[in-house]
Amino acid sequence: MPHHNTNKNTNMSFSEEVTCRHGGETLTSCYQCGTCASSCPVARLDSRFNPREIIKLALLGEKDELVSGDAIWLCTSCFNCQERCPQNVEIAELFYALRNIAIEAGNSPNIYADFGSALIADGRIVAISKFGEKKREEFGLPPLKPVGLEDLNTILSETGFIKPEKKEASK
Amino acid sequence: MSECKMEQPKVGVFISDCGKQLSEVLDFDALTSFVRTVPDVTLIARGSAFWRGKGLETIIDAIKSGKINRVVVAESITKISDVNIAQAVENAGLNSYLVEVIDIKDHCAWPHRATPKEATEKAKAMLLSAIERVKLLEPIEKLEFPALKSVLVIGGGIAGMQTAVDLADLGFEVNLIEKESFLGGLSARVGRFFPTDDCAICIQPPSSDVKTITHTSRKCVYRSGFSEIPNLNILTNSRVVAFDGVPGNFELTIETKPRYVEADQCVACDKCAAVCPVETPDEYNANLNNRKAIYMNVPAVHPQVYAIDEDACKFHDCAKCVEVCPTNAIDLDQKTEQVTLNVGSIVVATGFREFDSSTIKEYHYDDYPDVITNLELARLIDGFGPTAGNIVRPSDGKSAKKIVFVQCAGSRDKRYNPYCSSICCMISLKHASLIKETNPDAEVTICYIDIRTTGREHEYYYERARDLGIKFVKGRPTEIYNDEEKGKLIVDVEDALLKRFLDLEADLVVLATSMVPAEGTTELAQLLGIPLESDGFFKEYNAKLRPTETKQKGIFLCGGATFPKDAPTASLHAHSAAMKVTKFLNSGKIVKDLRTAEINDEYCGDCELCPVTCPYGAILLEPTTGDHFVARVNDLLCEGCGICVGTCPLNAIELRNSRPSQMTAQINALLSVNGTSKPLVLAFCCQECGHTAVDSSGMAKMEYPANVRIIKVPCAGIVRANQILEAFKAGAQGIMVVGCKLDGCHYELGSQQAEKKIDFTKVLLKEYGIEPERLEMFSMVYIEGDQFAEAAKMMTDRVTELGQLKLMEDS
Repeated sequence: MPHHNTNKNTNMSFSEEVTCRHGGETLTSCYQCGTCASSCPVARLDSRFNPREIIKLALLGEKDELVSGDAIWLCTSCFNCQERCPQNVEIAELFYALRNIAIEAGNSPNIYADFGSALIADGRIVAISKFGEKKREEFGLPPLKPVGLEDLNTILSETGFIKPEKKEASK
Repeated sequence: MSECKMEQPKVGVFISDCGKQLSEVLDFDALTSFVRTVPDVTLIARGSAFWRGKGLETIIDAIKSGKINRVVVAESITKISDVNIAQAVENAGLNSYLVEVIDIKDHCAWPHRATPKEATEKAKAMLLSAIERVKLLEPIEKLEFPALKSVLVIGGGIAGMQTAVDLADLGFEVNLIEKESFLGGLSARVGRFFPTDDCAICIQPPSSDVKTITHTSRKCVYRSGFSEIPNLNILTNSRVVAFDGVPGNFELTIETKPRYVEADQCVACDKCAAVCPVETPDEYNANLNNRKAIYMNVPAVHPQVYAIDEDACKFHDCAKCVEVCPTNAIDLDQKTEQVTLNVGSIVVATGFREFDSSTIKEYHYDDYPDVITNLELARLIDGFGPTAGNIVRPSDGKSAKKIVFVQCAGSRDKRYNPYCSSICCMISLKHASLIKETNPDAEVTICYIDIRTTGREHEYYYERARDLGIKFVKGRPTEIYNDEEKGKLIVDVEDALLKRFLDLEADLVVLATSMVPAEGTTELAQLLGIPLESDGFFKEYNAKLRPTETKQKGIFLCGGATFPKDAPTASLHAHSAAMKVTKFLNSGKIVKDLRTAEINDEYCGDCELCPVTCPYGAILLEPTTGDHFVARVNDLLCEGCGICVGTCPLNAIELRNSRPSQMTAQINALLSVNGTSKPLVLAFCCQECGHTAVDSSGMAKMEYPANVRIIKVPCAGIVRANQILEAFKAGAQGIMVVGCKLDGCHYELGSQQAEKKIDFTKVLLKEYGIEPERLEMFSMVYIEGDQFAEAAKMMTDRVTELGQLKLMEDS
């Protein structure tokens, strides 16, 4: 019998790993029509990112390539693709699922760790800039209220965003 | 319940060893000695085969001599032998319903061959059960219902016309109704058909056209002579507004809107249209041009009679047409008319239409005139069309040089129509090729997800398109833009094979729009009482075996009414429907055994369960006194499944051939002899898949213990909770109910009803102190004999573990 698959990374059960995860359920509905790709503003600008290709890789079980690469982090969550997908694949949600798999495997861009630390420390992933406050004033919007850090921390601990040992330490 | 005066039963028992196969397992001497002790058995015979040849003659002779008036045959392959024996018995003058054939090979000797003694004891129980049943059986009479040899065909497209011609040729009185003013439907508008590339309005003409008919004849509708067949009545502008009656004699009210032109006077001279001052969009040409208020679609249509568009005409405020008409054919005062038709059968051939493309906002069908559908393109390609065959941009009338097709517009799309419309790839390939052949300079691109060319000659179209230089882009466009500066449309698509984003410039974008059921499909389905599939098309009774039949006897389907079809398939479907109608009506009567449900008025009353449960609409409620009502069974519609019997809370319904008394006698007999070391398990098996799965397990010599006893019932849905309790009382330690798959029940709802009932009965069992695990429902198909053997073993083990059933004192 001919040896069909020489790629050790190819693991067909990866698509199952994705579909049993929240957000990844609709993966196998994809029939590669490419509506997502032509809808995607990022794909036009950055050849590293093509939603159709990412889905194909996930369907073929190319976990390593997806988990260690940049591609899955480039989605801006504009949801154009998801709006237009004829198979109701929840594409943007699918990328969240893939990102969660990557984080569990220890792969995430540094900026996500920075976001996390900022959220725990200041209650916002990005600090409010002077420019932003000025603009709000111009538009007649009230200043942003300070974040209830204590409540937020409760939520972050309960949901496991802050790891248990850290929770213990903070008590 | 029925006061059937039956003569004293004299049962003949015929035991076959199937060519000495079975005597290796079963002790035939013991069986005959046992049967001899059973009362009312007047004849016992042993042989090698009783379902044919000499063996069958033995049965016939015994009947003719008056020695017996009931027959029990222990045979193999009962599903065949039953039919043969029934026919022979009937010819010998005995009602075929007084015969019981059991399978002591596949239901006993083979599966229990490892334990011959136990098998013999089970065979005794099986024989006793058959004898007890046959003693209680009553003759079933044959009913005859009149069937009018007339048909109503609804829809005058290619399918409706073809089926009407066939039926008229065969001598039926045929009424063909069409809601539009002219025949032809969608097919007349598409110009040319694949894979023959011939005219769409071409049909197989009637055989009555003796002067020019040849074996290969095909003719335009208008010159086919089909309108002149004496027994074919064509009504345009017409639709069904009321429906009543029964199969064989349906009564329909047809409403015909006025045409305002007398068909037998009009000479189609066009003088009326020439003077008509009204210009209105021509919907036949997809509104790409205007026509007059009095019009004919294209020259080659039927009828060759002008029609007035009610919505556009100014009637007596103008009446110029009336003045010029040389034959006084125009009557502006015509009124809507209604006629009543009585027909034996109905064929629904209402077809399909294009999906409303404006629903897909990103393709801007409503915003940009140069975004059109394939049907609109067909009108542009047609020489009779609004541009005499020139492919132009509707926005400015300029020649279209760059044409982009967008496949699956609304098809294979879960937001609109999840199915593949199946014909659009071929339509686009045909159109693209026709354009390219006449305009080699045109730049034609097809954007596709998958190209599907699955019919004979179809792949050739794909190849021809490539040869002609048509470009293919694998990708579904996300949006169509209008580039005002360039004066072009832009189709935004990724070519997945190149992983490259293309902004395709186009003068004309053609949407390969999905196909959806014709307008009015839902209303017609409700009126006729026939179901639709979840996709909105009419549901055929069985897609594999009965593709032109519906759940409603006497109502048939053909053409695109069941799903989008190309012309060859629609034509095939139409001829097939004609054959089915013929089979149904040809003898002028519908003959049916009265193997139906019977209501006991004494118990029945004021409940509405059975009419709702009957899958065939065979039960109606009839008022009695005051506010009271009782159920009434329509013997013509009743299929004899017994689901109503299983549903009736008052035990007021019985099936004539499976009365509770007959079933109880069988159950008691089956459980009267154990002869094995294991606890008795009773299996109610439906006569369709359940009982045949038992056959197939035996045929494949799969083994299970002999304590499992089988009672055949018409459908799992007939089994009642009290019968289950009675069976436990009679000695069953476990009970199986074996039916068809939940979605594959031969009586549609029987398995589902049975499953619900079993769940409910389990609760009841608990109340009676019986472990609910002693009762289980199984669903299987014929080929799953292994599953039956497994289930039988599993239930045996289960009840063995539970130990002896303890019944409460009063249960």
